[in-house]
Amino acid sequence: MPLPIPTPDPKQVVLQTEDWIEYRTGFPTLVRKFLFRKVPPTGWFHTLGSSLLTVFILQAVTGSLLAMTYDPSPNGAYQSIRYITDQQSLGWLLRGMHKWGASMMVILLFLHMARVFFYGAYKYPRELTWLTGSLIFILTMMMGLTGYLLVWDERAYWASVVAVNINGTAPVLGPFISKFLLAGPVFGAQTISRFYALHMLLIPGAIGALIFVHMWLVVKLGVTPWPTRPLPEPEPSAIPAAHRAMPETVAGE
Amino acid sequence: MADRTRGEFLSLTSVGLGAMIGGVIGVPATAYMLAPVTKEVTFTPVFLGKMSAFPSEANDPNKFKPTPATYIEDPSNPATSPGLAFVHNTGKSSTDWHSEDAMFVVFSNRCMHLGCPIAANSSGFACPCHGGQYDTNGERTAGPPIRSLDRFQWEIKNGDELWITQRWSTDIYGGQVRYYPVKMPGQPTHTPGPSWIPDVLYPHVTYTHGPVPGPVPLPPAPKV
Repeated sequence: MPLPIPTPDPKQVVLQTEDWIEYRTGFPTLVRKFLFRKVPPTGWFHTLGSSLLTVFILQAVTGSLLAMTYDPSPNGAYQSIRYITDQQSLGWLLRGMHKWGASMMVILLFLHMARVFFYGAYKYPRELTWLTGSLIFILTMMMGLTGYLLVWDERAYWASVVAVNINGTAPVLGPFISKFLLAGPVFGAQTISRFYALHMLLIPGAIGALIFVHMWLVVKLGVTPWPTRPLPEPEPSAIPAAHRAMPETVAGE
Repeated sequence: MADRTRGEFLSLTSVGLGAMIGGVIGVPATAYMLAPVTKEVTFTPVFLGKMSAFPSEANDPNKFKPTPATYIEDPSNPATSPGLAFVHNTGKSSTDWHSEDAMFVVFSNRCMHLGCPIAANSSGFACPCHGGQYDTNGERTAGPPIRSLDRFQWEIKNGDELWITQRWSTDIYGGQVRYYPVKMPGQPTHTPGPSWIPDVLYPHVTYTHGPVPGPVPLPPAPKV
């Protein structure tokens, strides 16, 4: 008579799977440290950054799905937008989410920057967090500029003409920046391809990389508390090694 | 060199090779992206219409009513370069576009503020985007435009066909219409001081062009 096969305990299966991943990647520990790290008392204002990340992910997902149908060519762009909006199943919803998500991202970005500014969170030792955030802000504006043209209607075309010409008014480099954006001396078929590539690949990639650095700095340096509250003692790991080695700091300690 | 250790030598070699590989990949990629900034296009002559399609306004001197004519500025990109020219028939007889008595003045509809399309009205031209205003000579009279409207060089072919053959930027001062290589909207052709300043600040790198035509006395603006 064969021995009965023991029924696996689901909890044990989950734990063993986690161990299997942990042993090979260390990822569960990383996630645990990230999610269960100590933070000072926070409020709703501290949720703006994570909201921004959520909207960015939403934009990436909806943008990728839209790109499966969008045709980045002068003759096909507007038609494909019309197709997505009017004929594709739930295309109107997807496009609407992407459009309104873009506006929401800019609004949240401004609110998040305002929160950081008024909390003084840009000061030592978080200068680089502010700097990477500022770069994300600039790139988000560029996402808005490059995405606006892709609709390829009259408003998109002329708004982009105006935007490119605004760039062209900068002395010395202005004319070259304009021609770089247009992918040539005048608005051409390659302009929309260039805007599409910038909007789909280059700028989101750069934003993603900067978000990674930004969040790494946030986790490393901790969340800034409400400025009127007394500052908690910083943990040693939150102080840069170079600063710890300075004599006056050591003397102060 | 003799004092270098094997480790240092290998490190230097690795860095050197890395730089070389980076250059081999990076230089073509950068050149590919930046090549358009030095590119120029040649204006392709465009047929605007039969001369009879652009009637003279001389019979009604109180009315400025240039005739709009659509065209494709870059035939290789017809979907992205439709343009509109305003043909003003002066009622004069010369078929030399550069003459004081030129039969036509062909204006570009590109506003010199930021490039929006302007519209003609009885007193000249107006831009809907930011309120730029121009008189019947295309000279800026109000609003943010930085200079006069571009004009097209034209010629009559096959007896009665009006063709535009070149675009020129213009500026009107000292009672003359002065021609310049094409600059983008918002970029000055003429600034106080030495004449080379605008070309250094805003290199004209849009269109290839022949000799720049000299200034032409400004005709008196028609009564409106």
